[in-house]
Amino acid sequence: MIKRIALVAVLQLALVPLAVLPQLSARVTGESYPMRVAPVDPIDPFRGAYVDLSYPDLREGDMSDPPSLDDGDGGAVYATLVEEDGFWVLGEYTRSRPEDGPYLACDDRYWAIRCGIESWFASQEDARRLEGAVANGAVATIKIDSRGNAAIVDLQPR
Amino acid sequence: MDTDVAARPATRAELDWLTTQLHDWRTAGLVDDQQATAIRGRYHVVADPTRRFSLARLLLGLGAVFVGVGLIWLVAANLGQLPPLLRFAAVAAIWFALLVTGEALHARRSRLPSPVIGSVRLLAALAFGAMIFQAAQSLQVPAYEPGLVGLWGVGALVHAYGVRGLGPLLVGLPALVVWFVWQVMYDAASPFALVLALGAIAVLGFSIATLHDRWLTRFGPPWREVGAALAMIVLFAAALPFLTIEDFTWSRWLVVGLVAAGVAATAATLLTEGRTRLEPLGAVAVLVVSVGLVLWDTGADTTSLDAADWAHTGLSIAVYVAVAVGVAVLGILRDSWRLTALAMTGLVVFTTFQSFAVFAQIIQGAWLFVVLGLIFLGTGYGFDRARRELAATLEGEDR
Repeated sequence: MIKRIALVAVLQLALVPLAVLPQLSARVTGESYPMRVAPVDPIDPFRGAYVDLSYPDLREGDMSDPPSLDDGDGGAVYATLVEEDGFWVLGEYTRSRPEDGPYLACDDRYWAIRCGIESWFASQEDARRLEGAVANGAVATIKIDSRGNAAIVDLQPR
Repeated sequence: MDTDVAARPATRAELDWLTTQLHDWRTAGLVDDQQATAIRGRYHVVADPTRRFSLARLLLGLGAVFVGVGLIWLVAANLGQLPPLLRFAAVAAIWFALLVTGEALHARRSRLPSPVIGSVRLLAALAFGAMIFQAAQSLQVPAYEPGLVGLWGVGALVHAYGVRGLGPLLVGLPALVVWFVWQVMYDAASPFALVLALGAIAVLGFSIATLHDRWLTRFGPPWREVGAALAMIVLFAAALPFLTIEDFTWSRWLVVGLVAAGVAATAATLLTEGRTRLEPLGAVAVLVVSVGLVLWDTGADTTSLDAADWAHTGLSIAVYVAVAVGVAVLGILRDSWRLTALAMTGLVVFTTFQSFAVFAQIIQGAWLFVVLGLIFLGTGYGFDRARRELAATLEGEDR
């Protein structure tokens, strides 16, 4: 019985890191990059309250919010980053992986470009407080690893 | 004749059956009145223990589902008082305690199966989902990520097959169905991709159910019911005139799902015999017909119906009725009232929808209800007659 429980527990536990692999890699091996954000809002049915974030500096020209590429393609897209006045902003979007960083590994299968840093989970009280506090803009600290995996580690009003 | 024995317990249903049989035996001259009375006197009525058992199982199952959903909800409420790592540790500890408790109870009561074991295992499978969501939340995984539900489903299936418990299977199967459809639509949403995804699950469901005839037979019914439900849903979707191949592109998970369905169907066909083979083959046929119905584009304009529209609708109805009857027959052959109920429900919903979609264009108001009623009466009569004939045939085979 103990062997059976141990086997099930080990296999199930092995699945947990798979759920968080990009974020875990970014947190463990990545470096921090401050980026300006603006709040949007809502709620995830399984995981509750979060602040939905948009990144004004990840839009180029007259791009919509959230940004999207009109190149008739969909899938992997990469956002190269350059520093500007102490914040990291978009260099360019490219379909091929950049040779060096920092860059964000994103995806636009669902029309909008998503880089895995668009939501900040907090308790319902914190989410409400943050929504008001960051209404005039905020700074998110993003950790990015060498493969472009990113995770938000902090969110502060500007 | 010895009639001086203590009366034995029997349920009301068993005694009703015995009374009918005694009447038949008396009529046939097999027993006389005295013998019949003596036989009947050997039994006394007691409450049906299976009813108490079912009620206990129902309450335990409901309780487990409520607590499990509540646990996931607590994750959703973000438990602001605890830091993320501690929150994850708390949920993981609950999951592990439930996993161990379920198996400890099983070891203690292996000679006397108890529904308590099933409910604890069910709860452990739900708690595993809470652990996945808590890990994702603690590390800020983006919202609406279908992979989390998929991993929950895989974990629940590992649990189900590892301990041979039905409870985790009942969590894992719906989670995997939701994940697969969500993932396929997330990768490349289109009506045709939806039809292929639903059809692939139907084939997988029936094929794995059939393979379970050889091993772990208790696991067959849930897979079969998922297969039957999805077969009826995919045909329903494919019959809609506005579902076309527009915007369709292949995606990785859709290909994986279809290949897995193909492999499972081939294995099920090769490893089983007789009429059992018809289950995976029937599911493959449903998938092929569904694809054909979508490819046969007769236009989405339902205000003017031409011959092609009528032919498309007629074929859809004929195939749907055939599949519904097939599922109902399977329900009888497999002693599953759920399959029969599923077939009846699917047929009623489909007939209603198609009647409104097609006949509403040419029949107005009250007459539409009269026509609908007649269609229901006709379908119900035909369905019931087919069911009776099948039951009579099976009864004849048993004699």
